[in-house]
Amino acid sequence: MGLVEKGRIPKSLTTLLNMSRKYSLWVYQWGLACCAIEMGAAFGSPRYDVMRLGVIPFPASPRQADLVCISGTVTDKMAPAIKRLYEQMPDPKYVISMGSCANCGGPYWDSYSVTKGVDQLIPVDVYVPGCPPRPEALLEGIVLLQERIRNEDMAARWRGEADELHEVKRGEPLVVDA
Amino acid sequence: MTLVTDRQQLAYVAAQAADARVNIELETEGMTLNIGPQHPATHGTLRIITRLDGEQVVWADPVPGYMHRGYEKLVEVRSYPQVTTLVNRIDWLGSFANEVPFILAAEQLMGIEAPPRAQWIRTILFELARIANVSLFLGDMGVQLGALTPVFYAFRDREFVLNQIESATGGRFHPNYDRIGGLKEDLPKGWIDETRAVMGKMRGFCDEMEELLLGNEIFEARTRGIGVIPADVALSYGLSGANLRASGVDWDLRRDQQLPMAWSQVDWKVWTHPDGDSFARYWVRLQETREATLIVEQLLDGLPAGSIMAKVPRIIKVPAGEAWVSTENPLGEMGYYIVSKGDTGPFRVKIRSASFNNISIVPWLLQGVYVPDVITILASLYFILGDIDR
Amino acid sequence: MSLLSSTPDSETGPVADDRRVGLLAEITAGLGDAVAATHLIPGKDLWVRVNTADWLTAGRFARDALGCAYFCFLSAIDWLPSPFGKGEDDPTEPPPERSTAIEQGFTGGATRFQLIARTVSLQRHVGITWKVDVPDDLVEVESWVKVYAGADWHERECWEMFGISFAGHPGLRKLYLPGGFEGHPMRKDFPLLARLVKPWPGIVDVEPLPVGADDGGEAE
Repeated sequence: MGLVEKGRIPKSLTTLLNMSRKYSLWVYQWGLACCAIEMGAAFGSPRYDVMRLGVIPFPASPRQADLVCISGTVTDKMAPAIKRLYEQMPDPKYVISMGSCANCGGPYWDSYSVTKGVDQLIPVDVYVPGCPPRPEALLEGIVLLQERIRNEDMAARWRGEADELHEVKRGEPLVVDA
Repeated sequence: MTLVTDRQQLAYVAAQAADARVNIELETEGMTLNIGPQHPATHGTLRIITRLDGEQVVWADPVPGYMHRGYEKLVEVRSYPQVTTLVNRIDWLGSFANEVPFILAAEQLMGIEAPPRAQWIRTILFELARIANVSLFLGDMGVQLGALTPVFYAFRDREFVLNQIESATGGRFHPNYDRIGGLKEDLPKGWIDETRAVMGKMRGFCDEMEELLLGNEIFEARTRGIGVIPADVALSYGLSGANLRASGVDWDLRRDQQLPMAWSQVDWKVWTHPDGDSFARYWVRLQETREATLIVEQLLDGLPAGSIMAKVPRIIKVPAGEAWVSTENPLGEMGYYIVSKGDTGPFRVKIRSASFNNISIVPWLLQGVYVPDVITILASLYFILGDIDR
Repeated sequence: MSLLSSTPDSETGPVADDRRVGLLAEITAGLGDAVAATHLIPGKDLWVRVNTADWLTAGRFARDALGCAYFCFLSAIDWLPSPFGKGEDDPTEPPPERSTAIEQGFTGGATRFQLIARTVSLQRHVGITWKVDVPDDLVEVESWVKVYAGADWHERECWEMFGISFAGHPGLRKLYLPGGFEGHPMRKDFPLLARLVKPWPGIVDVEPLPVGADDGGEAE
């Protein structure tokens, strides 16, 4: 790890490391509402099998997860739990926001108890729009994320262009074409 | 009808008494166990704070609200078609079933009725929503008890039903297909034959679940006699749907009230079970799923021709008044009390959702129960968080 | 026989509803002065409004004398018209005039808040919608918990959403909302802030077009 941080690894090796990371993501499903069922269909059902992409669902705890998929409406009551979950995950970690409720509040944009988008709490890498998005859309989101991981500069990330919250600046978040 | 023999019951009671004695002897302090809000066994974000004495629950307090989206306030600022869209997402597994009581109440206030073909198609989709919803329960209860296989079959076979709903309405979940006065559009070509084939497949799925789970010794030992709800307690808490029928109460809103839907036109049976325990609730839901496939087949055979939309103005203003309509949704009795003041949107809508009442019994039900049985009971009550919290 | 008969009333007379008419007679005989007003729509529903002091009596009467063992729901209605309308006001215009008159629905009433509750008798296949006025000065009614155990959570929700307290309830505490939430959301004077802060996107021409957008607009 020290060598990666200092940037002393040649490019071909970092690409190899990135590829091995992108094909071994352990995804923690934070399923809240209706999108959780589509996420379950994508991850658990034999038809939209996500394991063929190298992504394994159902980790034992968030401390063993690389990727969290927040699907469903985020309410103000639930927000502290999401923040705590995100902080429990070890770096490098990625976030997929699935469904319009998690993206921006969705159909409940004017509610008094809904957090208008999970990106108010945690930084998001990929937004998957839809209400609910089809399982194929979620798989597309994962593929886009894998492309980003492949081209990631781990040295820059570990050096940390951090702000005062010690969170690493991310690139522009990606949005899945519906 | 129960298989719990006297000897088994005696052993169970003796074990509880021994535990109680050990608890007093050891003088262990009670432990507060927090189940949820993110937990694989709660169907969504429900938090239950339990106080334990050893292995038994002394006091349980469900804390809902982690999915409270403020439906009743949101519908006051929306028009009726917009409310129909929003209301799909309350019980998010059987979505079409949420629209129907709302549309029926609005039609009751307007004094109109949908044409017969629309009523029959509504009933067919309602029963398809029931099958989609309850088939997930049949697999999911296995997962709660530790049997991991049935849920994969459930997800796989549910996809066939969702395909049918999608080809008719455009949405796998959240079809948003009902309109005041009828339906959005007619069925596509070939839908009827495909759905008939899918119903045959779902009956095969029910048989599979029966073989895998119902006859399984471990399943029986974990569910028989667990979480018994007597009928009078169930009624005073307002339990509905399969939970009520599993306690022996013969009440089904499809049969016991007249609504402009097509259930009275076909032959079907209401299933009850006298025991009131978790096994009974699973058994009743399995039979109901099978019955729903038979209802759909009969409806497909007799589907009348005609238009699918009554004459309604383009901008719908519902006359002033109050109306209450409730239907037998997959989770129980769901009803809407609409107060209208003659506007394009409702003045007040009270959404009576089944899971709210079903979960209000949990503090009473979980007293004295062992911790593993807590999961069994919650799984058998079958709630959906959107239905509790709205 | 379908409830919603398609023949208009003027031709064949109103649909006969002996069950509900008989039930209404029982209620007026049994509760007497406690009943303030009733409303019966044949074939659809029966509404009974009782005096505030007799709310618990009505509940007991429903359960014991009428045989309504099934508790459906208990909630409230705020009859004040919303001062914010639908939250679709054009922010560039002054706010429109809105009526503030409180008009109750079926069975009338005199207060801003009313409770509605529904109890059903499974044997008689009929349900009754009970209504009661909640006094404006002391926003409190008796609790139905001793009569129907399920009223516990419904009354907690009522208290949280409307601010109506229930005398005799074992513990009125928050059900849905997080601890620091202030206000009672279902009251009509509680605004939906998102609709006030951001102008409703359905109103056209509220926001000025971005610079340079006029160039391509004319080509057709």
